[in-house]
Amino acid sequence: MATLQLNNIVKDFGGTQVIKGVDLEVKDREFVVFVGPSGCGKSTLMRMIAGLESATSGDILIDGERINDVGPADRGLAMVFQSYALYPHMSVEDNMGFSMRLAKVPTAERREKVLAAARILQLEELLDRKPRALSGGQRQRVAIGRAIVRNPSIFLFDEPLSNLDAALRVQMRIELARLHEELDATMIYVTHDQIEAMTMADKIVVLQGGVVEQIGSPMALYHHPANLFVAGFIGSPKMNFLDVEIRRADAEGVDVVLPGGDCRVPVEGDGVSIGDKLTLGIRPEHLKLDDQGALTGKILVIERLGGTTSLYLEKGDSQWILVADGDVTSRVHDQIRFSFDPACAHLLKGNGDALPHRHRHPLADIDRKENGGLSV
Amino acid sequence: MNTSKRWLPHTFKIALLTLLLLWTLIPIIWMVLSSFKSNDIITAGTPRVFFTPILEHYTSLFSSGNSLWPYLLNSLFIAGVSTLIAVVLGCMAGFGLSRIRIKGKQHLAFWIISTRMAPIAAVIVPLYLLFRYLYLLDTHAGLIVAYLSFNLPFAIWLMTAFFDDLPPDLEEAAMIDGATKLQAFRYVVLPLMTPGLVTTAILCFIFAWNDYAFAQTFSGPNTQTIPIAAAQLLTQTGIDWGKLLAIGTIVVCPMAIAGLLVKRWLVKGLTLGAVK
Ligand SMILES: Nc1ncnc2c1ncn2[C@@H]1O[C@H](COP(=O)(O)OP(=O)(O)O)[C@@H](O)[C@H]1O
Ligand SMILES: [Mg+2]
Repeated sequence: MATLQLNNIVKDFGGTQVIKGVDLEVKDREFVVFVGPSGCGKSTLMRMIAGLESATSGDILIDGERINDVGPADRGLAMVFQSYALYPHMSVEDNMGFSMRLAKVPTAERREKVLAAARILQLEELLDRKPRALSGGQRQRVAIGRAIVRNPSIFLFDEPLSNLDAALRVQMRIELARLHEELDATMIYVTHDQIEAMTMADKIVVLQGGVVEQIGSPMALYHHPANLFVAGFIGSPKMNFLDVEIRRADAEGVDVVLPGGDCRVPVEGDGVSIGDKLTLGIRPEHLKLDDQGALTGKILVIERLGGTTSLYLEKGDSQWILVADGDVTSRVHDQIRFSFDPACAHLLKGNGDALPHRHRHPLADIDRKENGGLSV
Repeated sequence: MNTSKRWLPHTFKIALLTLLLLWTLIPIIWMVLSSFKSNDIITAGTPRVFFTPILEHYTSLFSSGNSLWPYLLNSLFIAGVSTLIAVVLGCMAGFGLSRIRIKGKQHLAFWIISTRMAPIAAVIVPLYLLFRYLYLLDTHAGLIVAYLSFNLPFAIWLMTAFFDDLPPDLEEAAMIDGATKLQAFRYVVLPLMTPGLVTTAILCFIFAWNDYAFAQTFSGPNTQTIPIAAAQLLTQTGIDWGKLLAIGTIVVCPMAIAGLLVKRWLVKGLTLGAVK
């Protein structure tokens, strides 16, 4: 049982504000992912939770208790570092048992617990080795094992998979999700990779420049991005954008001008007026080839992935991506027409904020457990 | 083709290294060998390669009225204590300097090492005056302080560099594992610092062990070190070459071995298999 709460957390490094007032609530047993571009403050935020960095102002609460002034040793957390930070002079067993050695746990009990964790992570064979005799993936497991052994109230992971190759990364992702299920613990996970965020999180926190851009479930962020940054950051390939003008706005939706005729997007049109400039966003997978379509573009590159095909299009002076079936017959340099379902489109104001959709997507507010276990 | 192209520079390199090796080793070998020769052979017009080794110079050094023992013990004690203090304080200061986050840190670090850059001659007079006021002349403490004035900044600087190479992740991981700052230092940082500590210790020891200028100025009858003993053999009535070379051997050999050790540690460096 462990909840975490951040109230208006600010971090100042010698005059530069790196975290600019973050509020967050993490529920018990939730898997929360901090995602954002490199340098946005994810690690700093996590390190403040761990107690390795002090917060300049604001409150950090674990289970409702303010722990700003509690040292990292006494917060009852475990952290897996991007570098793994295994103790090079200790064997795998000693690495995993170090916290218990400090806590003066008897040797027999220590060994038992290390073995139990080693079994979960298939490390039994490696217990006598030194870290330098391990592969990257094995070091990763030892680092996770060292965290599990502590039986922490909250697990912290700082980009734990970024030093692994692609195949191993996918495997560890699945393993971490399984581990979350099995340990039933609260986990906070930092990554710059939105795919890791989408696949593992119950709740994603999108950070940029030390500010929370949006908090929500993966499907909420995907279907209801709150602003231009989240719209462009979440989803792969990236969302396409087009400058449009409002023709009409009312309670039913907003009409925007497109080359092939107006388009009615079902969003709330409060606070906008006719003639306003907006940005229309539409995901590559929501575009479909359509001879009657309102939009046109010239194919620059075709990427065939088998199941799907990505068409990179030249559209005016911007580049668009369209994800089509695996067996489309289009060729490079073809001029194609395409359309989209206006319900899937997003409209974003000049200041970047999205106009809210009138209807919530049915999956947006389902959490992973209701979703039937692993969403990986 | 490729090998023949590299063949010439390679032989050249070997030749150069051989020359350098001879240049360095010949005086030392000559000194060590000669310390086992009788004075007649040493001073003979033609150098002798084959001779019957004798231990006379060594035995007379340690048995005659003016035995080398006190000098040797003074040297060991003074160099040893000043090294110990330099390494302990250097280790703590280096750790602090490496981990602290303050503005102008590199200036502070540079200021510390800059005190090591002053020539010995420039500090001898001020130190002499200071020591006279503090009654530190002809005391072990005085020489220890004198050597510390050079070894401490050096040790701090060297240890800072070693700590900079050690990722703070490791201490942080230890602290999250439940260690206090001191425990993290004791169980994680210190064991990984052995190469750095040994290297620093040997280099500090060599400085104190080899010093002549400070010892000549600050020591008295009670505190003379081996280099002083060697100098005392250069008398107006003549030079006792045999003894001089024997002292030289006693001074150089331990340091040569220590030097080889430093190289081994330095080359070994910090093996941080656990990070990346
Ligand atoms: N110890 C520090 N001193 C000064 N600036 C720092 C320090 N640590 C991080 N920063 C700055 O804070 C910002 C956020 O860093 P970080 O939290 O590591 O980003 P992320 O993990 O999202 O890549 C960066 O601009 C970085 O330069
Ligand atoms: Mg980071």
